[in-house]
Amino acid sequence: MNCKQAEALVTAYTDGEGDALRNYSIKKHLLGCSGCTARQHSILALRARIRTEVPYFVASPALHARVRATMGAVRASIPPQSRPTGDRYRWLSGGVLAGCAASVFAWMLGTTVLAWRANEDFVVAAVAAHVRATLGDHLIEVASSDRHTVKPWLSARLDYSPPVQDLANEGFMLIGGRLDYLERHPVATLVYRYRKHTIDVFVRPEASRAPMSALRTVRGFNAARATGPSMDWLAVSDAEPAVLSAFVQRLAREDIPQ
Amino acid sequence: MSDHTRFEELVLPHLNAAYNLARWLTRDVNDAEDVVQDACMRALKYVGSLNGDGARAWFLTIVRHAFYDWCKRNRPAEIAQDDGTAIDMAVDPAAVDPEQAFLRNAESKTLAEAVAALPVAYREVLILRELEELSYKEIARIADIPIGTVMSRLARARSLLQRSPLLHAVH
Repeated sequence: MNCKQAEALVTAYTDGEGDALRNYSIKKHLLGCSGCTARQHSILALRARIRTEVPYFVASPALHARVRATMGAVRASIPPQSRPTGDRYRWLSGGVLAGCAASVFAWMLGTTVLAWRANEDFVVAAVAAHVRATLGDHLIEVASSDRHTVKPWLSARLDYSPPVQDLANEGFMLIGGRLDYLERHPVATLVYRYRKHTIDVFVRPEASRAPMSALRTVRGFNAARATGPSMDWLAVSDAEPAVLSAFVQRLAREDIPQ
Repeated sequence: MSDHTRFEELVLPHLNAAYNLARWLTRDVNDAEDVVQDACMRALKYVGSLNGDGARAWFLTIVRHAFYDWCKRNRPAEIAQDDGTAIDMAVDPAAVDPEQAFLRNAESKTLAEAVAALPVAYREVLILRELEELSYKEIARIADIPIGTVMSRLARARSLLQRSPLLHAVH
């Protein structure tokens, strides 16, 4: 595959389109082509910026109320319909039951797959946020090694209050926190220093227990995740996977007095 | 299931998506709410023909139609003609060159402003792809254009944003 052929395909691939075979040859091409890799990265960088800087507008409570009121008015003007009853539909019920069972099964399967995908996307978004922050955009919005400073700063800006723990005596120094905007939700990010490494810890109210590999590598960064009693913890860093994984599990125990 | 129940179960969960699209198309809080309100009335009327999956894309198609109809009534200048070619007029370089207009108008101070300043035909595919995260196929159906056109408009939207001076100023 040459670059001319690859151009549109790389874009489609980056947008999550295209079939497995094509994606395979694109991946192979990207490994050996810095030009196309740069193009792919510029799309990803633009996407990361759009998702953080371009707002997703949400319908106001007033609009919700207005729509519901109009629907109510329309409903009131329509006479209630009589439902078809009678025995001639009864034979359908067996099929309906089987259909329901099949739908429930499909729904469960679907939600599992969707939740898994959502988690994967969240990890990718978290790594992008980590990269942006460490590139010098804004690593820290509240700089403090005092958890009693970081915690109120975060809870004042979120609808939840993330546990902030100081693990300096274990080598993980709290250096501050910031707010990220991932997957359309504001997320608390705690920033720790471990030796020469910066560790970003993304804390969310426990979102899902959907399956996700506890440890992943995305673009060379390690992402380790653990679920605690009240929060979902995801640590992203270039630190050793084993260290990161132990650290995030330590945090997820949430057993340090607040 | 009555139309009202279907509407509440299938359509209403996507009210935010509808509002977000309408807001980016109209670029105004009140106009967006009017467009969404109109779209809801239409959706209620046709909800009987909606089969469960793809409700979001189906509703967004209606929102988009409601927007273009609203535009004809309120901002006829924004879409030049009302014969359905209006959107392509916007990307027809012979008519006005919206790309040049976009690049000349370097007044956007933020990325959000730059997105809002994109010609509407580019803006809608960009919003559907990057904020709604819809597939090319769904976008093609919503915007009523071939997939190839989705790809070329998306590519042009991105290249305009990447060429915009503000993206280089920040880093």
